[in-house]
Amino acid sequence: MISHDNHGLRLAVRYAVLVLVAIIFVFPLLFMVMSSLKPDHQLLVDTGSLRAFLPVGDISFDNYAAAFQRAPISTFVINSVIVTGVTVMLSLAICSLSAFSFVFLRWSGRNLLLSILLATLIVPFETIAIPLLLLVSKLPWLGLDGLEQGWLNSYHVQILPFAADALTIFLFVQYFKDLPSELVEAARVEGASWFQIYLKIIMPLAGPVVATAAILRFLFMYNQYLWPLMVVQSDEYRPVMVGLQYFFQLDTPWGEVMAYLSLITIPVLGFYLMLQRAFIASIASTGVKG
Amino acid sequence: MATLSMSGLTKRFGDIEVIRGVDIDIADGEFVVFVGPSGCGKSTLLRMIAGLEDISGGELRIDDHLVNDMQPRDRGIAMVFQTYAIFPHMSVRENLGFGLTIAKVPKAEKEQRVMQAARILQMEHLLDRRPSQLSGGQRQRVAIGRAIVREPSVFLFDEPLSNLDAALRMDMRMEIGKLHEQLGATMIYVTHDQVEAMTLADRIVVIKDGIVQQVGAPMELYHQPANRFVAGFIGSPSMNFLPVEVQSVDHDSALVASTSLDAVRVPMRVEPLKSGDQALLGLRPQYLVPTNEQDAGQLHGTLSLVERLGSETVVDVNTRENTRLVAAIADDRTFETGTEIAFTFDPNRAHLFSAAGDGALNK
Amino acid sequence: MADSKLTRSNRTGWLMSLPGFTLVALFIIVPFFFAFGLSMTNQRLVSPNPTKYVGLENYRQMLDIALVTLQPERDASGTVIRDDEGTIQYPRLRRLSRSDPAFERYKGMREWFGWQSGESHKAVVVRDPLFWIALRNTLLFVLVVAPVQGGIALGLALLVNQKLRGINAFRTIYFMPVVVSIVVVSLLWRFIYDGNDGLLNNLLDTLSFGAIPGVDWLGNPSTALGAIMAMSIWQAVGFHMVIWLSGLQTISPTLYEAADIEGASKWQAFRYVTWPGLRNTAVLVIIVITMQAFALFAQIDVMTNGGPLDSTQSLVFQAVERGYGKQDISGGSVISVVLFVLVLAISLVQRWLTRDRQN
Repeated sequence: MISHDNHGLRLAVRYAVLVLVAIIFVFPLLFMVMSSLKPDHQLLVDTGSLRAFLPVGDISFDNYAAAFQRAPISTFVINSVIVTGVTVMLSLAICSLSAFSFVFLRWSGRNLLLSILLATLIVPFETIAIPLLLLVSKLPWLGLDGLEQGWLNSYHVQILPFAADALTIFLFVQYFKDLPSELVEAARVEGASWFQIYLKIIMPLAGPVVATAAILRFLFMYNQYLWPLMVVQSDEYRPVMVGLQYFFQLDTPWGEVMAYLSLITIPVLGFYLMLQRAFIASIASTGVKG
Repeated sequence: MATLSMSGLTKRFGDIEVIRGVDIDIADGEFVVFVGPSGCGKSTLLRMIAGLEDISGGELRIDDHLVNDMQPRDRGIAMVFQTYAIFPHMSVRENLGFGLTIAKVPKAEKEQRVMQAARILQMEHLLDRRPSQLSGGQRQRVAIGRAIVREPSVFLFDEPLSNLDAALRMDMRMEIGKLHEQLGATMIYVTHDQVEAMTLADRIVVIKDGIVQQVGAPMELYHQPANRFVAGFIGSPSMNFLPVEVQSVDHDSALVASTSLDAVRVPMRVEPLKSGDQALLGLRPQYLVPTNEQDAGQLHGTLSLVERLGSETVVDVNTRENTRLVAAIADDRTFETGTEIAFTFDPNRAHLFSAAGDGALNK
Repeated sequence: MADSKLTRSNRTGWLMSLPGFTLVALFIIVPFFFAFGLSMTNQRLVSPNPTKYVGLENYRQMLDIALVTLQPERDASGTVIRDDEGTIQYPRLRRLSRSDPAFERYKGMREWFGWQSGESHKAVVVRDPLFWIALRNTLLFVLVVAPVQGGIALGLALLVNQKLRGINAFRTIYFMPVVVSIVVVSLLWRFIYDGNDGLLNNLLDTLSFGAIPGVDWLGNPSTALGAIMAMSIWQAVGFHMVIWLSGLQTISPTLYEAADIEGASKWQAFRYVTWPGLRNTAVLVIIVITMQAFALFAQIDVMTNGGPLDSTQSLVFQAVERGYGKQDISGGSVISVVLFVLVLAISLVQRWLTRDRQN
């Protein structure tokens, strides 16, 4: 017989462990946000006690104002929104269309092309970054001012290399394979063209995989660092993560640094907390590969 | 309204030939059922007619037009799938009108045709529902409705009732029968269920291994099966095949006997046999009549199992050479397992087949 | 009669897949082969001179490694020369490679590390010490992070796989750092690790009542790489927890019920039900962590710039330092190729581990 007391105790121990671990994950982030609200002298004193994680003392948004003084933050934010937004949209459209043709259409070269695409899954971006840098520095671009040589310092150099990737195509392929092929055949008998089937039958049914791919692509693009670091030298096109370099100097007040970090992190965290199930599911679905 | 003709149709997947030279002519307004065991090629044949599979060889004509290379939408056909294939993200109304939306038919006409189809199938009240809110039977009705709206000259049904439960299946079967009467359209229906085939068809096409075994009206197949495969496939419970030896033949009948069968003269309709051949005597369970006295019977065995179904009693019998026979007895006499039993039968209702091969037509 | 082409849609098929394939080809496949090609040239990002093909020279420069044995200096009588503290004196490698023909091959190479062996001194000499240090650090990072992060992630997954009220909230919290950029995390932890006013030092000081002295975690060559490892594990462990979790959830609960009825203890249930069911997940988690660990860059760039004393150099950091910082595209490409070969080897091991055992 298990007594009720024993059972209650065990439950308490379980929750205690869960909470303790949760503290390890939450407190650094909490520290970041709280510190962003405190003046520097108080901030450094607070690190010695639990006050570091509490909104106590002289609380204000002064650090945020100072951070905006130090760097053109609004430009960085707009750049990140443009680059991330456009890439996610393009990637969803291009990759789903490719996957649609791989799964539902029969054409010569289909298997070969798909195999080549999937083989690129094992090429980490870091191993091609350097040659890609040389490539984009030589590519021509037809801009508003006519033909230009080299893509450096632009939006398109941050967008186009990521507008299609094997993982997104793969996710769509997996999802489409599980849709009943009779839906496509019925639509064909009803007279729909391939493009109509893609637009009116398949995409309206692809909600879950669109969410998965969008989340993965969003996280990847918004958090990019290495690539924009190399290809963007001017503030005009710099995204938020590279904008961080303004705060690298050793004499930067920590309060301002924390303000900037909070500013670019809280929206993502909020987004995550709203859609946490979809976020976690999308990470789990990358585990299916291999 | 349309006629349909297949001549020498073949289908290969790589080196494997799954349809091996099919010739069938279907008259305008006819209800034809393709039936056969799973994997026999019947669905492939239907999909070739629909234009969902390439035709490897031969000619397919609808109303005398060669349609081998024509897209499905241009063939004037509509198809009902086993899994219904109704679009889950569209309302019933949108599903019914999908083909017309694609064809950019004016709104008023579309609305009118959708309403008409809904009336025929008595589902006007379901028009604004989503497929997820419908029962299996209602979904299949939507699939049929979508076919009706297209006003096709040929309806194609691919095992439309397989996903329904038994009771619903019978209702829908009757409804499809009524629909055929009402529309008078040419219909081709694929099933593995010989009951559906028998009840619905004007003509049945029995297929095995990509080859047409026999084409004919239901009762023609029942009474005059062209080979042992058809004989065994049509009818429920299946025909019994009793191993016998041919003792003598004249031009259209043979005298056969075995340990448990007294010598009997039966007509030789299917294959020519000669004296001394091993043969199989086909006896339908319904035509075996039990006798009271052992000596009066022609066929002897021991009762091994009795199943009383109410309308009839099905008994399993072990013959003296240990072959299993099934008899369906109409009256509700009681039988006891383990006792000896004897049967008589009308020799004219028996069929004689060669024991060689698997009993089906092979090329 | 040939197959009719009714159900083939070559034109539409190509048209629909072409945008995606073209982008992948241009921005992944072409640069991939570029890496191999460029690694055999003297290509620079911007250069007035034409590019020259140099064959495997770059690889020779970077990968050249040798073991040399140095004999002690002796005076005229053949006695070993020792300094005032009794340390044996050895000739300098640079001098030897100029004067002694036997050592000519080592010209331009420097000692990476060495040890005493009897009277002689053994030295591992390399032409490009920075590359070798980066390679060693990267491998060390992978070898520590992969098992530790994988193990902790499994523990967390088991923790949040319990059927408890509100367990989803804990899942959400443990996963939280994953959605935060590694760049943000790195800068935040620079503050936490700070030697003067850092949160970690102050917390340790408070908790131990001053017994633990403050450490400049990132400024000390012996703690810097470890500090970065710990932070990296903290940031990404939730990711792998989720992968473990989806593996755990594929194990049928009836197996646990059966084990329960058989009287298995918690540990036995884990050993005989859970773990065998997680075999493929385990391989996957280790592979994914390994791939991510090989890509170590942002943490280094934000936190230490490879220092102190090169103790946190990594392969990708070196590739970027050379390819972008010094505009030495060919040098960066060589490191990229080396990195790819390492990753490919890992993938092949994965293939081998998850191969179909039926055959």
